[in-house]
Amino acid sequence: MGGFNKCKKKFAALFLCFVVVLGIVGCGPKKAQTDTPSAAGEKEGKTNNTQPAKEEKVSLDVWHLWTIENDGNAVSFNRALEQYQAEHPNVTINIDATENEAYKTKIKTAISANEAPDVFFTWGAGFAKPFVDAGQVAKITDYLDEAALKNLQMASANNFMYDGALYGLPYSSWVGVLYCNEEMFNEAGVKIPETYDELMTAIEVFNGKGIVPITVGAKDAWNAMFFQNIASIRTAGTELSTQALMKEASYDQQAFADGAQMVLDLVEADAFDPSCLAFSYDEAKIALLNGECPMMYQGSWLAAEIQNEEISLVKDKVVAVNFPALEGSAYNNQFLGGAIEGLVVSEKCEHKKVAAEFVAYITEAMAKESFLQGSGIPVWDIDAGDASVDPLVQQIVDLAYGSDGYVVAWDTFLSGADVTTHLSLVQDLFAQAKTADEFVKGMQALNE
Amino acid sequence: MDRILSNKKYIFLFVFPAFLLFVTTIMIPIAYSGYLSTLDWNGYSEKVFIGFENYKNLFADFPEGFTIGVKNSLLLALLSIFIQVPIALILAIVISKGLKGEKFFRTVYFIPVIISTTVIGQLWLKVYQPKYGVLNYLLSAIGLDNLKQSWLASTETALACVFFVCVWQYIGYHMLLLYSAIKSIPKTILEAARVDGASNLQIARHITIPLIKPMIKVCVTFALIGSLKTFDLIYVLTKGGPVHSTEVPTTIMYRVLLSENNYGLGSAMAIFIVIECLLFTVFIQRGFKAEAHTY
Repeated sequence: MGGFNKCKKKFAALFLCFVVVLGIVGCGPKKAQTDTPSAAGEKEGKTNNTQPAKEEKVSLDVWHLWTIENDGNAVSFNRALEQYQAEHPNVTINIDATENEAYKTKIKTAISANEAPDVFFTWGAGFAKPFVDAGQVAKITDYLDEAALKNLQMASANNFMYDGALYGLPYSSWVGVLYCNEEMFNEAGVKIPETYDELMTAIEVFNGKGIVPITVGAKDAWNAMFFQNIASIRTAGTELSTQALMKEASYDQQAFADGAQMVLDLVEADAFDPSCLAFSYDEAKIALLNGECPMMYQGSWLAAEIQNEEISLVKDKVVAVNFPALEGSAYNNQFLGGAIEGLVVSEKCEHKKVAAEFVAYITEAMAKESFLQGSGIPVWDIDAGDASVDPLVQQIVDLAYGSDGYVVAWDTFLSGADVTTHLSLVQDLFAQAKTADEFVKGMQALNE
Repeated sequence: MDRILSNKKYIFLFVFPAFLLFVTTIMIPIAYSGYLSTLDWNGYSEKVFIGFENYKNLFADFPEGFTIGVKNSLLLALLSIFIQVPIALILAIVISKGLKGEKFFRTVYFIPVIISTTVIGQLWLKVYQPKYGVLNYLLSAIGLDNLKQSWLASTETALACVFFVCVWQYIGYHMLLLYSAIKSIPKTILEAARVDGASNLQIARHITIPLIKPMIKVCVTFALIGSLKTFDLIYVLTKGGPVHSTEVPTTIMYRVLLSENNYGLGSAMAIFIVIECLLFTVFIQRGFKAEAHTY
């Protein structure tokens, strides 16, 4: 009996070892392979190194961040993809979708590990710059003929230009607008503000009625940043703003200080909820969608949600207007926004030509689809036919097409530590912890 | 069984798998972080060796104040040791006396430990919510309208509000540890004391607490280390804001690593936190060394 027990124990110990070793081995590279649904397809793609002939089977790994099925971009991507697959039966597309914040980490990790997928979503300007600098992104124009890009509005693709070369293709752009709840304005007997003075009047009237005039979720700092960014456009213009962002001009000048002062004035005038630093973007948005707050300055993407009866109580009650004009400013028809989201091809992709054509096809098709959905302003010349577009979206598109210039949100233009410094300086403004002068000096420190 | 356990081969066999796991999942990553902390590296660029430059930058001109973070975490550690653990101890002593509904109270106090910290964070966000939050509602219900605050939005109240939740959440955890230690004290000792006419307070002071000292030491260590590396609750509640008033080392590290891609500086912070925790653990071990009581 004793011998049997000993034997059993030996066996158990060996078995334990086996399980642990199995666990360790299982966590190794093998798992990484099963994680991507494309393991088989990848192998297939790697066996043929030459450019594929017309009917040759090709498979592409595509990463994006549209995980929510009825999100505007997700719908348009999926429609574009369906069309593509119907026309290109020889190309297998392996999709891997990851939620926004996780995606940022995932794509950065993949690129630093030299394991970027063939085609992936990225933000342009500062976000993709390290990828391009590290030589991980293919120069897309090398693999496309001119006809493929004839509909692209080249000026809008500037966020994917690095050193004068085009690396990626955007599908649509966004624009910052002031959403105003017309019903609440009428009830309060105030005019929807066209000028800064009218905005101040409206703020005073709403405050008098115990209504928070403008909703903002400053805990998510980018939300608060929009106000500083658009204020700087009014006082300094898009050109000077861009120069400063490119570190070619100084922030430490009156124009930018005036912009920061505008934000401070708004805070001082109780334009925002005193607790706005504790609210997230979602909480702030709900105040507009519930009809609690009459105004919100946000991107065009919000229009689709405002017009969605399932989540909004203010459908057809909201109008989109330009951020109020500043008297004497030459920059009143300039906007915050631009085309910052797009698809790029990885430098290590085996079939760059197929991938580049895929990117061009998808982004052009997405431009149209997202326009029809009301989730984006196309940066490709599209033929929408006589499809009807939501009136709120139409207002935004009209504003965007009439614009004199754009600056993309500063947090996407800047990169790395500059972003967090900028965001925290803006939060300091909202907390009235810094003066306009300290703000511009803090920003200028980034350029020195 | 004794023969097996004294055989070196078997010792190796049993210990090796765990040792392997420990080395691959803990030691190697720490060593690797140590290596990264000497680099100027953004994750994609060439790795440039810069020696201890990152450690110097930790406390020198760092714009978002790593020092504030360290100070805040030390304050939380003090609160945990001198408020959280004592409350847990009192609760444990009271509950373990076998009052009616012992099981019920034990479960209730332990609930916050079971619930995911993110859920706890959401819960307290609603409590502190300035418009419809429970706290402001209660204040106005008892006529203290002038005390109503936007709790998490003000630099004056945010830190206290966040730390309150941190301390509150783990009281149940320490209570359960201490409770089980108290329950393991032989009944005979307590009965003897009672026969000798000792009051409840005297029993607690001279018998219970000395006998569960080892467990108190464990609790203090956990409370201290937990405070030094706290992250999730603060991230959910304030993300370190407003204006960096609730920043702790880990929230700064998270931002530096993942938003700013500064792997060198971020790793230096990680190493700092590891060393800080080790040092304080040693101090506590020393502090409690004095005398050992046995039954």
